[in-house]
Parts: sequence; C-alpha cells; structure tokens
Amino acid sequence: MNWRGILHLGSRYLARNRPKTVLLIAAFTLVWLLPAAIALIVSEVEEKLRSRAAGTSLVLGHAGSALELTFNALYFTKPAIATFPKSDADEIAASGLADVIPIYSRYTAGDYRIVGTTIDYFFFREFVYRPGRAPVRPGECVIGSAVAEKNGISVGDAVISSPETLFDLAGVYPLKMTVAGIIEPTGTPDDNAIFTDLKTTWIIEGLGHGHDEAEDVPEDQKLSEEEDGVIRLNASVMEYNEITPENIDSFHFHGDEGSFPITAAIVAPHGAKEQAILKGRFANSDLRQLITPAEEMDELFATVFTVQQVVLWLLIGVGIGTLAIGAMVFVLSHRLRKDEFRHLRHLGASPGTLRGLIAFEAAFVVGSSIALAGTGLAIIAAIAPMVVEKVVG
Amino acid sequence: MIHCESLRFSYPGDRFSLRIDTLDVESGSAVALIGPSGCGKTTLLNLVAGIRVPEDGEVRVGETNLCTLTEAKRQDFRLRHIGLVPQNFELLDYLTVSENILVPFRISGDGKLPEGAKSRAADLLERAGIAEHADKFPDQISQGERQRVAMCRGLISSPEVILADEPTGNLDPENQDTIVSLLLEEATRIGSTVVMITHEPALERRFDRVVNVLELRKGSGE
Repeated sequence: MNWRGILHLGSRYLARNRPKTVLLIAAFTLVWLLPAAIALIVSEVEEKLRSRAAGTSLVLGHAGSALELTFNALYFTKPAIATFPKSDADEIAASGLADVIPIYSRYTAGDYRIVGTTIDYFFFREFVYRPGRAPVRPGECVIGSAVAEKNGISVGDAVISSPETLFDLAGVYPLKMTVAGIIEPTGTPDDNAIFTDLKTTWIIEGLGHGHDEAEDVPEDQKLSEEEDGVIRLNASVMEYNEITPENIDSFHFHGDEGSFPITAAIVAPHGAKEQAILKGRFANSDLRQLITPAEEMDELFATVFTVQQVVLWLLIGVGIGTLAIGAMVFVLSHRLRKDEFRHLRHLGASPGTLRGLIAFEAAFVVGSSIALAGTGLAIIAAIAPMVVEKVVG
Repeated sequence: MIHCESLRFSYPGDRFSLRIDTLDVESGSAVALIGPSGCGKTTLLNLVAGIRVPEDGEVRVGETNLCTLTEAKRQDFRLRHIGLVPQNFELLDYLTVSENILVPFRISGDGKLPEGAKSRAADLLERAGIAEHADKFPDQISQGERQRVAMCRGLISSPEVILADEPTGNLDPENQDTIVSLLLEEATRIGSTVVMITHEPALERRFDRVVNVLELRKGSGE
C-alpha cells in the first residue's frame, strides 16, 4: 500500500476542503463528547453530593422541602428556607439520643455563605486550621480555603457581612468579623464558606447588638427614662459593627436564646435505635422534619438519572443522525470525485491506493474527532471538580 | 514501439465496435490520430494505454503485450511507461500546479518523489511558460495554462510513450500551437513516441504521420 502517497493526497484534499473537514470533525466530536461529558459531570456531581450526604446521618429542619433543607444544611446553597427556634434542636440534644449541631445559614459576605454554628461543627467536619485556630468569641470567624485563596485573606484580616438588601435599614447591618483561622482544603462546600458562631449570625440579624452604655449616650438619643431606671434609646444610637475585646461586653441579646432562629440542625444519633426513635418522633410532625440526607440524594439522583437517560437517548439519536449525515457527505463527496478517481486510475493509481485514499479521509475525520473528544473529555474531567464545586459548592 | 494487430473491441450494450487490422507506430515518432467524432479515436488511445482491453487481438507497447497483463499490472505499466494527457486537464483541484505535475510519482511505488523530480517539474513549468503559477491552484489559472499543466504532468516521468487525447480541443489557436510545440519539443528531447488525437488540420502537419482512424477501420473490412 502506497501510504506516503495516500497521506500526501489525502491530507492535501482535507486541507484544501478545510471548512467541510472542520465541520465534519466538529460534528463527530460533539457526537462522541456530549454523552460522555454529561455522564462524567453527573457522576462527578453525584460523587460530591453523595459523599457529603453520606457523612451526615440526619438533619432537622422546618417542615417543607427536604431537598432544600439538605442543600441548606450540607451545601449552604438554599438560604431562603424557613427557620425554626433553636430550642427544638436543644430538645433533641437534651433527650440524650443524639448530638445536635445547629446551623444558621442565611447571610453572606460577598459571594460566600456565612454559616453560624457551634464549635461541635468544626470537630464534626474534622477541620484542620492552617494557619490559625477555631473562633473562640463572637465576632471571630474561620474561612474556607477557597475563600482565603480567591480573596487573598489571611488570619487577622476581616470579612464583612453583606446586607440582605441594598437599603436594609431595619436590622441587618454589616458586621466586621476577624478571621481567626483558615480551614485546610477539604474538597467540600466548607471550602467556600465562612464559619462563625451562632451568636455572631444573630448579631448580624439584629437580634443582638452592642452600643455605649445607655447612661452614657447623649440626651438626644434617649426616648425616655423610666423611674425604675430603664432607659429607652432611639434608633440614632450608634451600634458597634465590629466586636472587639474592648466592646464585647456591651453586646447583648434581647430575648430568649432558645427562641432565636436556625435554618437546620445536624443530628448525629448515638446508635441505630436512637436514630429509629428520633425518626419516629418526627415522622408525623407538621412543623418539623427530620431527614436522612443520603435518602434525599438517592431520590434526587433517581430523578437526575431518569432525565440523564432521556437526554442520553436523545443525544444518541442526534448522534446517529449526525453520523448518517456525515456518511452521506462522504458518499456524496466521493460521487462528486468520481471523475477524479477515474483519472487517477487511468494515470496508474492502484485500486488499493484509491481505497486507501477514501479510507484515510474517513479515518482522519473520525480519528481526529475521537482524539478531540478525548482531549475535551480529559479537560472536562480536569475542570469538572472545580465546575461542580462552583455549582454545588 | 506501438503495435496493434487484429483488434476487436465493443462497449457492452452499445452498437459501436472497433476493428483494426494493424497499426504500427515507430519509436520516437509523432503520430496524429484524426477522424470524425465517434469514429473510435479515444477508444483506440485507451486500448493503447491499457485502460481498456480488446476482446480480441494484441496491443504491444515495446516488448509488452498489454492484453496479457492483469489490470493491476496494466496500471503499473501505464504508470511507468506511458504519459497521459487528457482533453479536460483532469487536474486535482486541491493540489497546486507543481503538486499536480508530481501526481504520477505520488500514486506510484511508495509515493516518494524520486531525486530530481521537483527540479524536473520546475524545469517543465519554466519551459511551458507557467513557472510563476507553480504555487497556484488550478482554479486560479486560465484554461490554456491548465492544459499546459496537464501536459507537464504527462511528461514528468519522461515516459517512453505519450498519449494525448485532443489536448488542444478547448484552446484558442495560439494556445493550441504552444501546447503542441511543448509536447513535440519535449518528446523529441526525451525520445518519446507521441500519439495525439486532434481535430485541427493546421496541427496535423507538425506530426511525422497522420492516421485517420476511420480509414484504419475501413481497411479492416468494417
């Protein structure tokens, strides 16, 4: 077989007919790449979501969408879910059936979720701080590695919470929090979150605040001074927007802490029996739900797989159509080149050389498209974790 | 050089048939094949080239009887010993002028260009007066220039026999003269035998011999 001649003539033909060649290669590449890429990304998402869900036994939340609760508590992506009093979580803890970690995941600092929780969360997720330490007082926070890296934040720097709306005069004031530590990368949504204690998030919400002693504020900032010594201040009193060692004692909460809101609570039963008791306790509750995240993920992915199957079948249909059109383009192209092949035969080209020429062109298009699809898939596989992390946290 | 004897040929499903008792073309000579359209000039040329095989008779080029060779061997023989110049140029539109000239080497053997092939192509282009078009594609040059390229391709391997099927048919008189001059001069230079079909009486006198195919057939008793 005259491979050198075939290579020369074939490559020159493909180069001269570049638009047709590029179009065919692009179409074939998509035929190979799309189904594989979808399967890869879904698998990546599934692995990421499932591993997180599998590591969390139960989650307590307000009755409603179990999936939204899962995403709020585990992936910090659904902030607008209903809250419930922290006392409900305390009750479970008091029952001795489980360890309970409350989560208040509602506010943000820029693009990053502020997660109010207790120190137990840090042990539960086995955080390692490099550098720094866990927060030890209100107003301190630890940040995920991605937050630190993308924003160039170091220990000792500050992050400021964002108001919920631009003109939010009612209560959610920006709070400046000092970074006490940076969490070593975990490959989980924790890398993109800011963790502080519950009290700090309640201060952001306006449930707690700090200001000058009422006796010390100017007269024009006082509404009234009762005979029993209670001084009522008006809204012009300057509240502290940063908790420092100097002003920390002035921070206080109005109301019972148990009534303050949380969005979820991670519940880690002490055993299978305790888990069964707890599940039974909330099975018929209209106000609360106690969900198993792994089961929610099973349900979610059952739906995703159904959709994926439909999409894959559609893509296979489109792929077969594309391949058929490609084959037709080859056939038509060779019909148009009938005279050329006849003349090459007359000049002395062997049937093998002519067959090789046709095979080379087809093989080049198919081979290039497979190579491109492989490269594309490798790139997608490399960036998929980043993309998935960006999308699902 | 070329010897045809007792040739009989017909196309399947066609009433046309060709019978020729004898045709001899001496080595190094230039023969013009003439005759009215449909008389069998191109068929005769194809038989001599081994593109078609007669039902009966013998076609001998040099010492080789083409009728006894397999198709693959005839193709190989053609590649090595015969230069074809078709009427419609038959250039590959995806190759440049110089690449088109080298096609016979690309489709033969291992496809490797023999030493000096490129300089011979450049030399032919120079003599054909189209050296400046070496890197152009066929659709970027005129009809006359394309025919010169086809001529150069037929001559590139310095074949022993050059078979030209009315290469001047689509050209104006000036270009016709240029093409025939190029063909005959180069054939003389390399010692090739030329058989060329033409309809132009003005060109006939440039050849050593003129053969009327119709009369050849009459001579065979058709």
